[in-house]
Amino acid sequence: MHDRGDALDQVIAAPVTRRRMLQLTAVTGVSAFLAACGTAGTGSPSPLATSGATAIGASPSPTASATGTPPAASATARASATAAASATAEATATAEPTIAATRAPVSGSFRWANWVGYIDRERGPRYPTLERFTQETSVTVEYEQAVDDNESFYAADLAGPLGVGQPTGWDLVVLTDWMMQRLVTRGWLEQIDTNGMQNYPANLLDAYKTREWDPGNLYAAPWQSGMTGIGHDRGATGELDSLEVFWDPAYAGRMTYLSEMRDTIGLSALRLGFAPEMLTQEQFDESLAEVARAVNEGLVRQLAGNSYVDVMALGDAIVAIAWSGDVQGLLAPDQGPDQDFQWVLAREGGMLWTDNMGIPKGAANKAQAEAWIDFYYRPEIAAIVEAWVNYVCPVKGAEEEMVALDPALAENTLIFPTPEMLARLHSFVSTDLDTAQRWEGAFADAIGL
Amino acid sequence: MSWFRRHPTATAYLLLAPGIAYLAIFYLYPTLQMFLVSLWTGTAEGGYQLTFNFGIYPQALAQYSDHFLRSLLYGAIATLLTFLIGFPLAYFIAFRGGRFKSLLLFLVIAPFFTSFLLRTLSWRIIFADQGLALGPLKDLGLLPDEFRLTATPIAVIAGITYNFLPFMTLPLYVALEKIPPSLQEAAEDLYAGTWQRLRRVTFPLALPGIFAGTLLTFIPAVGDFVNAELLGSPQSQMIGNVIQARFLRVSDYPTGAALSFILMAAILVGVFIYARLVGTEELTGGTS
Repeated sequence: MHDRGDALDQVIAAPVTRRRMLQLTAVTGVSAFLAACGTAGTGSPSPLATSGATAIGASPSPTASATGTPPAASATARASATAAASATAEATATAEPTIAATRAPVSGSFRWANWVGYIDRERGPRYPTLERFTQETSVTVEYEQAVDDNESFYAADLAGPLGVGQPTGWDLVVLTDWMMQRLVTRGWLEQIDTNGMQNYPANLLDAYKTREWDPGNLYAAPWQSGMTGIGHDRGATGELDSLEVFWDPAYAGRMTYLSEMRDTIGLSALRLGFAPEMLTQEQFDESLAEVARAVNEGLVRQLAGNSYVDVMALGDAIVAIAWSGDVQGLLAPDQGPDQDFQWVLAREGGMLWTDNMGIPKGAANKAQAEAWIDFYYRPEIAAIVEAWVNYVCPVKGAEEEMVALDPALAENTLIFPTPEMLARLHSFVSTDLDTAQRWEGAFADAIGL
Repeated sequence: MSWFRRHPTATAYLLLAPGIAYLAIFYLYPTLQMFLVSLWTGTAEGGYQLTFNFGIYPQALAQYSDHFLRSLLYGAIATLLTFLIGFPLAYFIAFRGGRFKSLLLFLVIAPFFTSFLLRTLSWRIIFADQGLALGPLKDLGLLPDEFRLTATPIAVIAGITYNFLPFMTLPLYVALEKIPPSLQEAAEDLYAGTWQRLRRVTFPLALPGIFAGTLLTFIPAVGDFVNAELLGSPQSQMIGNVIQARFLRVSDYPTGAALSFILMAAILVGVFIYARLVGTEELTGGTS
C-alpha cells in the first residue's frame, strides 16, 4: 500500500514544467517559514510535497495579476496561517474530533453542478449521501448533473456572469484541474474558508498538496481522480489493450471519442509515443492530425462529453475513449445479457486527471458548500461515495474504510490502481491560456465543429 | 381623448411604441453588439479589442464553407419534405376534417407539449442500431447488420423535418381553410379535373400559406444545431454547431459572431429573392 501511495504522489503531483522549475529554485524566506510550519504538524512530508507548497511565496500571485485586488503579501500570510492551522488540525483530528467546531452551524441549501454518475445514487433518483448530509446539517443540496464537459460548462455557465462580476447561480462546481487552474488565474473562485473545518484539508492525501496553482488547497478541493482509457463491450470486441483500436477500421462507426481535447489528444499522443505532459506544438499537430483522420474516415461515430455513456448503453458504440469509473459505475449495472462492459488502461498508457470542487466567485451559499466539502472529507463518507463511483479517492483513511465496507473493493484497480498502472499514467501539459485556446480551436475544427 | 382624435398619426406611433422599444432593446441592440463582436481581434486570455477586422468575414466563410453548404442543403431538403408531408395533411384537415377539425389540429401541435430536446433524444433510442425500430428488421434479415440510421445525414434531415413539420402545416392549413368551397365547385362545373383544380385553383390560393410555411421552416432549419448534434456524426455537423462551438467551446467570439452574420445575410438574400419570385403581396393574403 505504501508503494502505491508514493507512486500516486508522483503522478498526481503537477508535472515539472519549465515554469515550475523556476519556481522551485526561487524559494524564499517566507516559504521556508511555511515549510517549517508544515513539517511541525505532519511529521515527515515528502520533499516533493514541501517544495511544491513552498512555491506560494515565490510565484507571482496569479490572482493578483489577473484582478489586481488581493495584495500578494496578505494572500501569503493567510495561506501560511491556514497551512499552520491545518497542520495542527491534522495532528489532533486523528485522535478524536473533540475540539468544538468554531464554525457557526449553517442551514439553507446550495446548488451543486456535478458530472453524471459522480455520486452514489439510487433509483428515483435519490442520493443517499446527500440525504445523510441534509439530516446531519439541515442543509439541503440542489444537485444537478449539469457538467458534460469542461469547456462547454465553462463557456455556458461560468464565463458570462463571472466575466462581468455576477454570481453564476452555482455554489459548487466540479471541474478538472486544468479548468480549475484557469478559474484560479482569473480570480473567479472563492477561497475555501477552512477555519474550523474538521476534515478538510486535514484528510487530503499529500499527493494533492503540491499543486503549484493552488498552494494550500484553498481554491480547489479534490473530488475524484480518474483515468482515461479504453471503454469497450467485451462481448462484441473481445479483449482489447492497445490504443490502436481507436484507429481500427473494423470498428468504423462504432466508436466514440471524448470532446475533452486533453483526453482525446492525450491518448492520440501516447499512441504516437509522445509524452502528454511535455507535448510540444509539433507533437500536438501530429496527434491532432491522427484524430482528424479518424473523424474524416468515418471511424468515429460521435464526439461527446459524458454522454458517450448513453451511446454505449444503446449498443451504438462498442469502443469508446472512456473515463475509468463510468464503465463500472454507470454502464455495467444496467448492461444487457449480451453486453459485457469493461474498461482497460491501454498498454501505451492513459491519462490521469483530478476533478475538483470549487466555489465560483460571488456564490450566495458559500458556507453551505463549505460544510459539504468538510463532510465529504470524512473518510467513511468518502468511502461510501467511492464504492459507488469507482474513481480514485483523494481522502486519507477512506481506503481503510472502504475495505471495511466491502473487502472486494480492495481488489478494484479502478479505485486502487496498481503501481504498475500508475507508472503508465500521464497528465496533460499545462499550457498558457492562449495556447489552450488555439488548441481547443484546432481540436474543434478537427472534430467537425 | 380629443387629443388622440386630433393627432391620429401620433396615436398610431404611440400604440406602436412598446413593440418598437421592445425590438430595439432586445433585437436591434444585441444584433449591433454582435456585429461589433465580430470585428474584434484578440484572445480569450489577453482580452478582445475592437479593431474593425472585416477580414474575418471572408476568412470565416472560406473556412466553414462546407458547413454552410451542408446547412443550406439539409434545410432545403427538410423544407421540401415538410411541404410534401404537410400539404396533404393540411388539405385533409381543412376540407375533410369535418367535426374532427379541432382535434386533428390539436394533434398536429400535440408534440409541442413535450420538450423538443426530449423528443429528439428519444429518436436516438428508438432508432439505435439494435433499437426498437431497426433491431427487429435486422433480426428478420431485412436490413444488413451494419446498417444504421443515427449518426447519419439522413437522421439529421429526418429529425429537422419532424421537428419543424407543424411550422409548415399550420400556415398551410390557415391558407387552405380560407378557400371558399364555392371556388372549387365552380372549377368542377367548368370541367376541371382533380389535378387541374388543385394546380390552378387550390395551389395558387394557398400560396401565402406556402410562402409563410417555407420561411418558418427553412430559416430555423438552416440554423438548427440540436438535430445535428444529437442525431448526426462529426461529418454531418451544421453551421449552427460551428457557431455554438465557437461561442461555447473555444471562446472564439469574433468567428462565432461573424458566422452568425454571414448566415443571417445569406438567409436575408435568399428570402428576398424568394419573395420576388412568389410575390410579397401574397403575404398579406389579400387575394381571396
